[in-house]
This record gives sequence, C-alpha cells and structure tokens, in this order.
Amino acid sequence: MRAFGIVIAGHGTLPAALLSSTELICGPIADTAAIGLEPGESPDHYTDALRAAIGHGARRVLVLCDLLGGTPFNVASAIARRSPRVVCISGVNLAMAVEAVLASGELDDGLVERLLEVGRDGITETERHRTSRAS
Amino acid sequence: MSLRLVRIDDRLIHGQVVAGWLRALGAKRIVIVDDDTARDEFLREVLTLAAPQGVPVEVCDVAGGAARLTQLAATTEPVIVLARSPRTVLALRQEGVPIGVVDLGGMGFGPGRKRLHRTISVSPDELRELRELEQLGTRVEIQIVADDRPIPFGSLDSGR
Repeated sequence: MRAFGIVIAGHGTLPAALLSSTELICGPIADTAAIGLEPGESPDHYTDALRAAIGHGARRVLVLCDLLGGTPFNVASAIARRSPRVVCISGVNLAMAVEAVLASGELDDGLVERLLEVGRDGITETERHRTSRAS
Repeated sequence: MSLRLVRIDDRLIHGQVVAGWLRALGAKRIVIVDDDTARDEFLREVLTLAAPQGVPVEVCDVAGGAARLTQLAATTEPVIVLARSPRTVLALRQEGVPIGVVDLGGMGFGPGRKRLHRTISVSPDELRELRELEQLGTRVEIQIVADDRPIPFGSLDSGR
C-alpha cells in the first residue's frame, strides 16, 4: 500500500493524459491527481490549484512534473522548498509514472532515486539498446 | 551589439523560455531584472532551479541590471533578459541600456487590464510605459514563442 499521494503537474492536457495512460497499464489508481497548466493561466492561479491538489495535513506528496523550468515545475519546486513533506521531480515519463503509482510504503530517498533511475533507463534508441543488451 | 532578447514576461523563467527561446537563440545565460526578486532570496533560488544545467541565472535590481546589461550588450554573447513589467525595461532604457526591441511574452489578464492579444494584457500605466519606450526608439513587439511572427505593438494599440 502506497503511503503517499501523487500529483502529476504539467502543461495543457499532458497530466490528465499521462494519468489516464498510466491507468491503462496499472488499472484504476487511487490518491492521484493531474493538474494541467492552461494557456494563459497565471502562476498564482496554478499555485492555488496545485496546493489544493497537494492538500493539507502531514501526508507526503510526490509531484511529478513534465518539464524542468516550466511553470508547473517552478511552482511545485517553490512549494517543495518550503514544505519538506512535498517532493518534486521533473521530466516525468510513463515508465516513471507507472513505477511511482505501483510503489508501496513511504516516499523516501530510496524511492526518489529509483524513480529517477527508471525514468532515465527507459530512454534509449533501438540500436543502442540492442548493442547494450548483447554485451 | 545589442541584447538578443529583452522579454517582458510576468512568469519570468518558464517552459516557453527554457524549451523555446534558449534553444532558438543559442543563449547560455539568463539575466533577470526585477527589484522584488532581487530582494527575495527564496525567489532567487527557485528561479535558479528553473534553468537547465549550464545556463547561469543572474538576478539584478534595476540599478545593478543597468550596469550588467550595458556590459553584456557590448559583447557577442547571446543573452536572454527577462523582466516582469514595462516599468523595469523603461528604467533600463533611461539608464542608457541599448535595447533595440522589447518582446512582450506574457502579461496576465486581470481587473483593470486591457487585453491587447491572447496572453498579453496591459494596465493603463503599462500602456503609457510601452508608448514611452517606443518614443525612445525601442521597438515593442509581441512574440510569444520564437516561431511566431512578431506583431508590432503599434498595430494593437488603438488608443494613440
């Protein structure tokens, strides 16, 4: 049982689509929200939406952001810098999202490291992947 | 030489800047001129986190920014300059910083603000400041992303 919440934060419909695609692989997912930044939406408005999704209380929350330096990441990292219970990762992809929703237990350093690794490991090119598999 | 991109954007560093403009200009440095941000250590840190590896972010107040940008404008280094408001850019211009073009990249809508273009809205003060910039010889254009064709501010400013 996962002991933390997950919020997917990104541009436009990407968060909702990524969540829906993650459910395609993992089945229905509890305790997960998708917050998309709409064109023209102000960072302040997005901050309110993201804060509402993160919620109050002591529960830890993992925010998975699409783009380093984008407004969703900037807003999430500002929240994470002020609130130690929130962890913010950028560059989310489907492999990372699946790993995160299927995680059990606490949101600790070990899990964060694993998510970064899984996200990176899935990025390759067929020929390079073939060569590295053969060696 | 003059500065490659001087952009007014109330979000400062964000996706359009890091994923679009940095690449389009081949810029390796971002200079933010904003008095409030320069005073706020937390905001400065968050903005520094927003830039990719290898792209330093300098945050200056208007006085420090004028000196720094005058120095950078004399080099060939492509730099992106970001400010939140026309007032800041006007102040830099009045301090003698060579700014040939100012790009309106993001100015949010709100009470008392008039929409010039999709994501570009201005207050009456800002409208005056933009007109003053043009009188000083700085071209004002709207160009949200690098692939957009720039729209001259004058073509949208019906009130003058």
